[in-house]
This record gives sequence, C-alpha cells and structure tokens, in this order.
Amino acid sequence: MIARNVAQRVFAPSVRPFTIMVGTIVVLGLLDRGTGYFFSVGTIFSVMQLFATLGLVALGLGLSMLIREFDLSVSGMVGLAGCIAVMTGGTHPWLGALLGVGAGLFGGLLQGLIMTRLSLSSVGVTLGGLLTLQGLTYVLTDNQTISYPNMAVALGLNAPLAGLFSARSAAALAVFAVAALAMHYTRLGRDVIATGSDRRASRIAGLNTDRVVIGVFAASGASSALAGVLLSYSLGAASPVALSDVLGPAAAAAIVGGVSVVGGRGSPMGIAAGVLTLCILSSGLSAIGVAPYVHDLVTGAILLVIAVLDAPDLARRITTWRLDRAERRQRNALAGTSS
Amino acid sequence: MTALALPAVLRRGLPRVRHVTLAFRLAAAAAIAIYALTTPGFLSPLSINALLTAISFVGCVAVGMTFITLTGNIMSLALGATVSASALMFLACLSFGVLPAVLATLVFGIAITGAQGFLVGYFRANPILVSVAALSLLLGAAAFATGGHRIYPGGAGLEIFKGRFAGIPIDAWCFFATVATGQFILSWTRIGRTMTMVGSNMRAAAAAGIATTSAVTIAYVIAGACAAISGVLLAARYGSGDMEVGAGYDYTAIAAVLVGGTGIAGGSGSTVRTLAGIVVIGVIQVVLLLRGFSEQLQYLITGLLVLCVVMLHTLGERR
Repeated sequence: MIARNVAQRVFAPSVRPFTIMVGTIVVLGLLDRGTGYFFSVGTIFSVMQLFATLGLVALGLGLSMLIREFDLSVSGMVGLAGCIAVMTGGTHPWLGALLGVGAGLFGGLLQGLIMTRLSLSSVGVTLGGLLTLQGLTYVLTDNQTISYPNMAVALGLNAPLAGLFSARSAAALAVFAVAALAMHYTRLGRDVIATGSDRRASRIAGLNTDRVVIGVFAASGASSALAGVLLSYSLGAASPVALSDVLGPAAAAAIVGGVSVVGGRGSPMGIAAGVLTLCILSSGLSAIGVAPYVHDLVTGAILLVIAVLDAPDLARRITTWRLDRAERRQRNALAGTSS
Repeated sequence: MTALALPAVLRRGLPRVRHVTLAFRLAAAAAIAIYALTTPGFLSPLSINALLTAISFVGCVAVGMTFITLTGNIMSLALGATVSASALMFLACLSFGVLPAVLATLVFGIAITGAQGFLVGYFRANPILVSVAALSLLLGAAAFATGGHRIYPGGAGLEIFKGRFAGIPIDAWCFFATVATGQFILSWTRIGRTMTMVGSNMRAAAAAGIATTSAVTIAYVIAGACAAISGVLLAARYGSGDMEVGAGYDYTAIAAVLVGGTGIAGGSGSTVRTLAGIVVIGVIQVVLLLRGFSEQLQYLITGLLVLCVVMLHTLGERR
C-alpha cells in the first residue's frame, strides 16, 4: 500500500520527469560499476554543453506544445540564426547575436500572426516556415559553410566556469530560469496554461488567446534562435545543412519532460529535466564507453517505454486485461464446481 | 424575417468561400502549368523522365504519410529512416533473388511501421514520440548491422527496375500503382472508410463500436509498405545504400500531403491529392532548375510555395 502511494506520487505528471532523470542517473551509475567515468566533472560539463543546444530548442517546442500547437520550424530557426550571427557578428558578437535572435523572434511572430489571423493549423504553417527558413539559410550562406573569424568568442563561450558550466550552458540555464519564473509566478504563465487547456473557454473568459499564441511562437523562435547563435559561435562555423535533425530529440525531450500534446500540461522545469535525461544518457553512455549504436538503441527503447507509459489508454487497457482475467478465473471456478 | 434570412445568407455564403478558394487553386495550378510549359526544355523526354523518377521515390513515402495524417496521427518522423533501412534490407536480401528480396523488404517495412501503429492505436500513444523512438531504434540497429558501411547488392537483378514500360520508367509505374491502390483502399473498402472515420473523430468512432486499434495499425502498415517500396526503388536506382538515402523524406512527404490538401487534423484526404501535391513540388523544382536558379534559391522558393499553398488550402476550410 505504501509502495503504491509512493509510486503514485513519484509518477505523478508533475514529478515524473525528475523521477525519470534520477532513475537514468542511478542506472548509469550502476552500469559504471565504480570506475568513476560517469560520476565525473567532465561528464557533467559535457551534459551541460549538450543541454545548451537541445534545451533551448526543446523549451521553444515545448512551449508551443503547451498551447496545443506544434512548432516544426525550430530546427530552421537554429540554422538561420546561427548563420546570421556568424555572418554579422565578426567584430561585434553582441550585434550578431542580437540580429540572430531577432530573426528568430520575427520569424516566430510572423508565423504566429499567419496562424491566428487566418486561423490555420500550426503544423502546416510551421512546416512551410521550416522549409522557407532552410531556403533562406541556403541563400544567405550561398550553400557553403561560413567560418567565424572571432575565435576569442568561441573559446570564451566554451571555457569552463566553476568546472561545470560554460558561458553557453549558463546562458541556457538562465533562459530556463526566466521561463520557469514567468510560467509559475506571472499571469502570463497562467494565460499560457489556460490557452493550452481549453482555448475556447479561455477566449470566452476574456483572454486574448491570439496574443498568447503569437507570443508563444515568438518566444519559441527566439529561444531556438539563441540556441543556434550560441552553437554557431562556439563551433566557430555555421553551415546550412547542419542540425536538420534536432527536431526529433527536442520533441522527445519535451515529451519526456512531461509536456502533453493534449495541451495545458508541462512546465519549463519539467522540460529541463527531460532534456537533461536525454543529455545524461548521451554523455553517460559514451563516458562508460559503449558503442554509439547502443546509445541510439537505448534512447529509442526508453522513448518507446515512455510513449507507452504516457499513453492515455494504458490504464484502460490494463483494467480491461485485469477484468478479463478475473472473469475467466471466475468462469473456470464455476465450471469446476458444476462438474 | 431576419431570422429566416440569415441561414439562407449563410447557405449561399459558404459555397462562395469555397468557390473563391477553388478559383484560387485553379489559378495557382494554371500559373504553375503555364510557367512550366513556357520553360524551354521542360517537355523534353529527359526532363519529364527525371521528374517522374524524382517524384516516385518520395511520392511513395508521401502516399504512406497520407494514411498516417488521415487517421489523425499528424506525421511520422521515422518514415525516412524506414526507407533507408528498407533499401539496406533489400540489397542484403538480393542474394536470394529479386522477388524474395522485395517480399522480405515489404515484410520488414510493414513489421517496423505496423508495430508503431499498434502502439499508437492500442494505447493511443503519442504518434510523434513513438516515431522518434522508432527513428532512434532504426538508426541504432542499422549501425549495428552494417557497422556504418555502405551496403552493396548481394545479387543481380536490379536491371528490372531500371527499365521502362510504355516509355515511362518502372519507378513511376510502381509509384502510380501505389497511389491507385491507396486511393482504392480509401474510397472503396470498408477499412478505408473506417480509417477516415477514426481520423475525423477517434472517440466517436470508438463509441460507434469501430475497431480503432486495427484501423490505425492498418494505416501504419500501409505506410510501412509504401516506405518499403520507396526503399526498394531507391536501392535499385543507386545500386548501393546507407542510412542517408531516405533522410529528409519525412519532411518532403508531409509537405506533399499538405500541398495536396489533406488536412493535418485528420479525417479527410486522398492519395490522389497527395499525387497532385508531389507533382506540384516536383514540377516547381524541375522548372527552377531548368530556368537556371541556384540550388539555394530553389530551396527558398519551394519553401515559400509550400507556405503559400498551405495557407491557400486551409483558408476555405478553417480549423
């Protein structure tokens, strides 16, 4: 009974992302068998480096999923903003970063406006947005890898702070902190949750849901753009073809982090936990020294398990199985007494 | 008086919106057609054949994606990887002969994608998360099986797929057959109707006693078979394969589905529409190529066109 209570509390939607994260750490720690490769400062640092890119993208995508939309354009934003920053920020890195993030903000705003003014679904609009952004990136870079001349910025962004963070991952954490505070303590956050839970009811209650949608897509664009800017600066290069496959992991991280596609459920802290889970898996497994394909297989298996555990009909199916079994047992017992 | 007049106005008003959108669509199609036909060299057999083969590979995937979108499951991010894995499977099995290899590939594609469909249909698991998981598993399994090397055919017989029938490449015939079969299933079979119903309202369909699990699973099974066909055609065309051959097909496929006018919300759509969508995308790309636009501009213009067409389509129907 106590075990069931604990399980219920630990797997409650708002806590579950953290449970999964801790579980991942424990399992990897056991697999490490005390060699210390996993529990090292280096692993934490590399987890945070991965977090800096994937986290910001997952935050943007997760916010759009919170309001029951789906922002496919995030990977396009990452690429475009990275290229803009690298091309314009040679002498003034801040200017490049501003332009890159501004482009993401503007792109998100525009998509949000198209969606709300024409009442279109987000998947279609952001798919067009994704292809357009990719095209724009190709045109801007002339289909070539652009190198970033200012190596001081690249080194500065990646230099370890207190051994655990770099300036890059610290920036990502700061964005998460701001998002979490805004979602928990401001009216804005409650408006977003309300829009995601029931858009019609929110509109009837007097909430300008269109503005929330536009704002969320602008935030999503800006957040992914920031990820792109930071990544391109720290790699010292930007290329139009790189990073087209960031969308899948970002969606996975958001869903592992407790964001429900039904809308209205999820939080920035949960998303952070989801992203950390994937990053810990990725760097933890390579720290332990397994082959890269094992990493893909393990990630896939875990995502599959979470997909099933998270499925709305799982409880119903289990109840049906139980009832069926009980009924069969009863029937067998009856057959036994009558014969 | 006004109370009576209002519905009449509405009744007259609605078709008008539809007429306007239809006119828009026809005008857009006509504009693309005129632009294409006035492009020098567009009607040459060479460019037509290039167009047909190019749309055949991704077109098969788009037909499969139509079924996933139609049943209300938005899109699959794993179909591109399924195409690549199917190509590898086909090449590896070619030592047993062409027909067994094709059958093995079909079974492979159906099993991989059908399993995802079962999870989505039976537990109502999130289709996007399931497809991301499958993508990860496929990449891992392929890296394990191939060791990261390219795969070359284990036997002969690829020439069959490189031939022509009535002047049209075999790939295109396979694609047209896929479209026709898909449309037949959707329009004339019971399971097709069931899939449409499940897509338009899952709960209502379940309440009406429809076996929603099997409908969704079969939609994914069809998608897997389509991806396998695309993989076979690609493997035969290029004579070797790796996990990159189908990369990015998911996005082009869903673009074709949306450009064709299948609603993303599910419950409506057809493979013939998807055929139209992929033809529009293919024609635009070929025309831009022939008119000497740089590759970068081709990407940009294609993206903008997809955006415009999607906006145009959904204008009439509203969310």
